[in-house]
Amino acid sequence: MTELLRFKPINNDCDFNRIERLQARMNARIPTICPERAEIITASFARTEGEPIVIRRAKAFAAILDQMTVFIEPNALIAGNQASVNFAAPVFPEYSFQWVIDELDEFERRPGDYFIINNEVKDRLRKLEDYWTGKTHQDEVNRNLSPENALAVKQRVLHRGGISMSGHGHTIPNHEFVLEIGFGGMAGIARRNLQSDNLTREQRDFYEAAVIVMEGALRYCKRLGACAKNDAAVEKDPKRKAELLEMSVMFETFMESGARSLREAVESVYLVHLLMMIESNGHSFSFGRFDQYIHPYYRRDLQAGKITKEKALEVITHFFIMLNSLNKIRPWGHTQYSAGYPLYSNLTVGGQKPDGTDGTNDISFLCLEAMNLSKMPEPNLSVRFWERSPHELILDSARLIRKGFGMPSVFCDEVCVPAMMTLDIELETARDYSPSGCVEIAVPGKWGHRATGMTYINFGKVFELVLNNGADPATGIQLIRLNGREGREVNYKSYDELWEAWKTALRYYFDLAVDSDSVCDRSLKYHDADAFASSTIDCCLERGKTLHDGGAMYDYISQSNIGMSVVGDSLAAVKKLVFEDGILTMDGLKAELDRNFTGPEGARIRQLCRKAPKFGNDDDYSDSITADVYESYLELLPGRRNDRAGKGPIGCGYTMSTSNITSYVPNGFDVGATPDGRLAGKPLNEGASPCLAADREGPTAVINSVSKLPNKRMAGGQLLNMRFSPGALAGDENLEKFARFIETGRLKNIFHNQFNIIDSETLRKAKENPEEYPDLMVRVAGYCALFTTLMPEAQDAIIERTELGWE
Amino acid sequence: MTDGLISRIQRYSTRDGPGVRSTVFAVGCPLRCKWCANPELIEAGMKLIFHRQRCVKCGACAGVTGSRRAGVCFYDAYETVGVNITVMELAAKLLRDKAFYDQSGGGVTYSGGEPALQADFFLEVTKRLKAESVHVALDTSGHAPWDRLAALAEAVDLVLFDIKAVNSETHKLYTGADNRLILENAQRIADTGREMIVRLLLVPGVNDSGQEIDGRLAFVRGLKNVRRVDILKYHRLGAGKYAGLGLDYPMEGVPECPEGSARYAAEKAMDMGFEVSVGG
Repeated sequence: MTELLRFKPINNDCDFNRIERLQARMNARIPTICPERAEIITASFARTEGEPIVIRRAKAFAAILDQMTVFIEPNALIAGNQASVNFAAPVFPEYSFQWVIDELDEFERRPGDYFIINNEVKDRLRKLEDYWTGKTHQDEVNRNLSPENALAVKQRVLHRGGISMSGHGHTIPNHEFVLEIGFGGMAGIARRNLQSDNLTREQRDFYEAAVIVMEGALRYCKRLGACAKNDAAVEKDPKRKAELLEMSVMFETFMESGARSLREAVESVYLVHLLMMIESNGHSFSFGRFDQYIHPYYRRDLQAGKITKEKALEVITHFFIMLNSLNKIRPWGHTQYSAGYPLYSNLTVGGQKPDGTDGTNDISFLCLEAMNLSKMPEPNLSVRFWERSPHELILDSARLIRKGFGMPSVFCDEVCVPAMMTLDIELETARDYSPSGCVEIAVPGKWGHRATGMTYINFGKVFELVLNNGADPATGIQLIRLNGREGREVNYKSYDELWEAWKTALRYYFDLAVDSDSVCDRSLKYHDADAFASSTIDCCLERGKTLHDGGAMYDYISQSNIGMSVVGDSLAAVKKLVFEDGILTMDGLKAELDRNFTGPEGARIRQLCRKAPKFGNDDDYSDSITADVYESYLELLPGRRNDRAGKGPIGCGYTMSTSNITSYVPNGFDVGATPDGRLAGKPLNEGASPCLAADREGPTAVINSVSKLPNKRMAGGQLLNMRFSPGALAGDENLEKFARFIETGRLKNIFHNQFNIIDSETLRKAKENPEEYPDLMVRVAGYCALFTTLMPEAQDAIIERTELGWE
Repeated sequence: MTDGLISRIQRYSTRDGPGVRSTVFAVGCPLRCKWCANPELIEAGMKLIFHRQRCVKCGACAGVTGSRRAGVCFYDAYETVGVNITVMELAAKLLRDKAFYDQSGGGVTYSGGEPALQADFFLEVTKRLKAESVHVALDTSGHAPWDRLAALAEAVDLVLFDIKAVNSETHKLYTGADNRLILENAQRIADTGREMIVRLLLVPGVNDSGQEIDGRLAFVRGLKNVRRVDILKYHRLGAGKYAGLGLDYPMEGVPECPEGSARYAAEKAMDMGFEVSVGG
């Protein structure tokens, strides 16, 4: 059995063996593609031609819920399925469909994130192609993008991720509200509001749609109840039979009004999530502060003697495992940016309450225990901490991190709350923030649209263009002329000149990215008019508007920026080597970059470049330049408005984010050699982390460097990723030191941090291919060092130790 | 003011005293322990380590001698060990991690090499650190004239004291020096009331016999103020450095320390009422 982090069960209410079976079953899940949703929505849309889009989508949603296959996972306490079989990805033809058809024969053959699909399913999907041609969100985006924007994409400066071809996701429902009144209560509000005088056509449509989706959701619950009843009839195990009967009774009236128990509350949270993922195919639908809104139900049941802590752990663990039954299929081109079937369903525990007291409770700790038991990629577990968090919360987090699957990531209130307050958000509201997706933060239940991941800007590529007067060496495309003349020739005579050129180029591409965001947003307003998700967010039901039409209380967006550290280090190298020390000339350096540092002279220059100051070593010279790069983007943001400005939400501005998932790797493919010594095609830096192999002073120096960035103004999320060897956390003493190290982030302006713990297999690969693992941190007899800098003999010894589990 | 000669500062060091620490490695040591994991820190002065796995055999260093080789290699195959540093510089660098020390109950540790050989320098650094309320530890071999060691031991908060063998013949054979001065100094430091952690290295076939372990622990029991004993298992992590320095590894063929003797020592020390840690 999996060892628990700290909890000591005193009864058998949590069936750990069953959790293992459920977990093993889910681990063996097979990704497939389910055509049901696509067929049902196509038929529904054919019937509703000419009706308002929000109604059409609502009717299609209800039709899907009425007609789709419904089943209950064997042994699971949590019910609700997204598609006809476990881990099948539904298809959403209304957002984009051509790639599905084009890749039908490729899905099975993908080297990663493959999907099994048979000929029958392929044929069923092909039949839908004609209906959607020219009608999808993607078609509309492509029609409206300027040719200049398309060229910037061709240059590989801009990348439009999901927003140009799928729903927006990134919604954190107001679960407290949903749990209080249920789907029935929400339909009631919509019905009441329909009675108001002076409704606009749009408002009327929205309320009608809200009634349709909520009634559809209630019918879906009843279908689950019928399913439980049928399963119970044939179930042989008496305990399971009783459970199924209990479920069938529960679902008969489920969510007609509020949740009546912890069990119902958790089921509701799961179902709301699931239903949003049937309504739309965005990712990063998140849970917000699960421990805060679940705890009242837990406390009530506990006091009434209806539940034990052990049973609560079982329910939460089943919930966590079931989240991994959901799936999303992306085009291959996007999959490379986000490998591993990710859904980014963030679930947060810990942190301050709006009144400024600490919110940590039993549920916070049980979530850590549940993650330890479920050991699967979803939910993406986050822990908020601050000055008055119990030390045990961080210690338990460290215990979980030590298990080596990278969770939880930690967020620091002392940085995130001020970051939220830069957005005209009051202190009490800001204290209620929660990550959604990866590291982007939002106020749960009040936030419209996505906190991050609109158009991606490849900073590394912009810098390469700056060195080439705006002309892309790879494609020859030139959209700007930094010295006013055509062609790559440009001669910067001072650092200031170079810096000004950087700012000019960044502003140019930022403007194009904002334009790209607006095109996608305007199209999503129509194609992603989702009454169900919208009804769960404050103000939408009041205003009678969808999220995309300005329904939410707050609305901010951010793009995603990749490669600030590469640009910072490159600027530092040029400043030092060319303009201060005069060791290199600008032309000489550029010639070597063109040659990708080949040959002995290339090696000489590259060594100089690599020895120039680097971000991540607590060296003010380079750290301040990297901070300047952040500032150069931040200063572009004020005054920028998104598509919902003036339509109701507070804000409607832009913020900054470095939550760029794995895109720093493919974005690197497109950037030539850079003055920091990075070779052409190699990865850029991840989030706000230092460049690979640039940080040579250890983890405290990395923290000190990152502390100098404007993290308190990064409301879109600042990502830091660190790697440690298992030995660095082994034993109580090291664990305690690691926990204290995390907690120090509070004093060091650290927004977010996540930790990778590396096993011996990875170490062995790192020894074989040191270039691939330049930032691998390992523990060497009492301290940590970069693995690839060690002698082969020491590497062998460490591999051996890691395998033996020493230290 | 005297400069110091150090190899480097190891930040986030977790084995050299309580909490998160920065460990400063001093260059130069009076002992010649055959198992030494930091051979580049034994002789005083700068050294060059050759990393053969980085060498691309370009020939640039052919005919170049001494430390100048580091200057002609573009692939970082030569690493210079040893940097002269002023008191101000070192103290300023160490203070950069003060928040981590404060949060974790950590601080700074002087190690090496033998820091007491540069006692004046480290005394000055200590003054600056103490002015900022940083916890300072001295990790010493104990093999230094008492007057130098005494001043430093008195200035720091904690002394980590290595006792390598109680048998003086063994000690002499494997470290090049008699252990009399070391044992005397241990006693003297203990008598000053300074908090101590004693570190017992276990090398298979050298000093891991029951007699050796019992003897050392019996001696440690006689020292006041020793709260804790660290059992250090011999490891071969330093072997590659010998090759890089162009030296033969003196402990060729000696296996890493087995669990059995470490467990014996740990249990024995626990029975005596010491806090015990086992590490490498």
